[in-house]
Amino acid sequence: MNSANDFKLLMSHWADIMEANRNYLIQLDSVVGDGDLGLTMSDGFRAASDAIARQDQEDIGKLAYLAGKAMSTAVPSTMGTLMASGLMAAGKAVVGHKALDLEGVTAFFQGFCQGVMERGKAQPGEKTFLDGMAPAVESLRKDCKTGASLKNAALGAARCAHEGFLATRGMPAKHGRAAGRGEGSRDTLDPGAAVADFLMKGYAEFMMESGANEI
Amino acid sequence: MKKIINRPEDFVNEMLEGIYAAHPGSVKQVGEDPRCLVSAHKQEGKVGIATGGGSGHLPLFLGYVGKGMLDGCSIGDVFQSPSAEQMLAVTREINSGAGVLYIYGNYNGDIFNFDMAAEMADFEEGIRVESVVVGEDVASGAPVKAGEKNTRRGVAGIFFVYKCAGAAAAAGLSLDEVKRVALKACDNVRTMGVALTPCIVPRVGRPGFEIGEDEMEIGMGIHGETGIRRGKLLPADKIVDEMLSPILADLPFVAGDQVAVLINGLGATPLEEQYVIYRRVAQVLKQKGIEVYHTYVGEYATSMEMAGASISLLRLDEELKQYISAPADTPFFKQFAL
Repeated sequence: MNSANDFKLLMSHWADIMEANRNYLIQLDSVVGDGDLGLTMSDGFRAASDAIARQDQEDIGKLAYLAGKAMSTAVPSTMGTLMASGLMAAGKAVVGHKALDLEGVTAFFQGFCQGVMERGKAQPGEKTFLDGMAPAVESLRKDCKTGASLKNAALGAARCAHEGFLATRGMPAKHGRAAGRGEGSRDTLDPGAAVADFLMKGYAEFMMESGANEI
Repeated sequence: MKKIINRPEDFVNEMLEGIYAAHPGSVKQVGEDPRCLVSAHKQEGKVGIATGGGSGHLPLFLGYVGKGMLDGCSIGDVFQSPSAEQMLAVTREINSGAGVLYIYGNYNGDIFNFDMAAEMADFEEGIRVESVVVGEDVASGAPVKAGEKNTRRGVAGIFFVYKCAGAAAAAGLSLDEVKRVALKACDNVRTMGVALTPCIVPRVGRPGFEIGEDEMEIGMGIHGETGIRRGKLLPADKIVDEMLSPILADLPFVAGDQVAVLINGLGATPLEEQYVIYRRVAQVLKQKGIEVYHTYVGEYATSMEMAGASISLLRLDEELKQYISAPADTPFFKQFAL
């Protein structure tokens, strides 16, 4: 990610993805929750993207923090607040950076994951967003050490997030309404993890297109 | 859907316009946002108490902002949490140097936003905030163990926590002391509900779940969360017995205890039925040797047009008794000193 403008493009791409998958998320959430996740995510990421689109700010960390604050105001639902907390924490993790190399990107997503974990007081393995995001962060961390290219690291992270999402089928839910279903919750896919899957898929797509000039 | 409303999307703000118009001497909005409501009587040096939550539960939450109770409330869409920014705006407004206590129900959306607001209040404004999360519905989880997360939902019993903490703050206690009183009320209050019909969120336009014409659900939450048992509708005495025994066993309430009782209608259950409920509650408590110090009957925490009721018991010691007895004057709750 070479500039604050790249980050704005990524936010806008995330908003597009959530909008395109709104009905899919509503459908997943209707099985275990109250069905509004598709609306929250599409409204929330759009509000976050719009809030920073015309900001004259070169610091990617500050932009992400602002995007998170805008999302928390626009969609104060459970998942909206979790994603807002993620963005704000991701922003704090890379504050002062005008561009992100693989190390920066890793810090960004690690901050995102940590922010969600702390706000939601959840751990990976409990059938949440974290089960998509944590494996992606782990993959980025490994690639950081081996010096992989930004693009390959993004593809690897997206793959891990997707596998993590699919693996939520079989886990018993520990949080939210889904937890009320006890063992019966094992059969379902977690809508939060689907959001993590879309975020990492969106990031990988962004790297393939906008990030074409990066190694 | 059969409701007296204008456009569904205007429901919450128009309700609020009505509140401000009806109670101009009691409450006012913060700045331009009607969803940030504070008491018109700010008292310097007093601990500020804020609450908040989704709409659709009047008198909860905003109805208890006033003298002897709460200082501010942020208001969300129907059954949705208000935002952290709105909570922060209320916090800023009600802080008069003695710090702010948040008291709210145990729901993830509210917890996440109040936590975020508390961090922002500390970081951006230097206001000290403490939080008490109320979860007293015995139908919604196992009893809380020390050090573990409370999984119980907060329902009508939050009224008792507001009352005790509000009176403690009005008496000039410090933030830590008001928090201690609020936690003591939480430790001693238990609730159980029953639902007969569902409610309709205006923007959704249809019931979120169904209950058969001849059915009831014991333990159902105020947003339609699953309860303990669904079955044929029983006579009032049997329903009360089924609700009361888990409440009594949970704390437990025992012979010699003194309690305050709250019979709460969920929105579409008439006062007559609520008194039929209380009749049986009084009989059972007498049998058990539990003394009723004071009784509240009416709508305290509703779920729009849901039919049903809840029973809350608060075990009293001398301190809580003193705070329950203190006067209060809010748009939805007025009491002379007992």
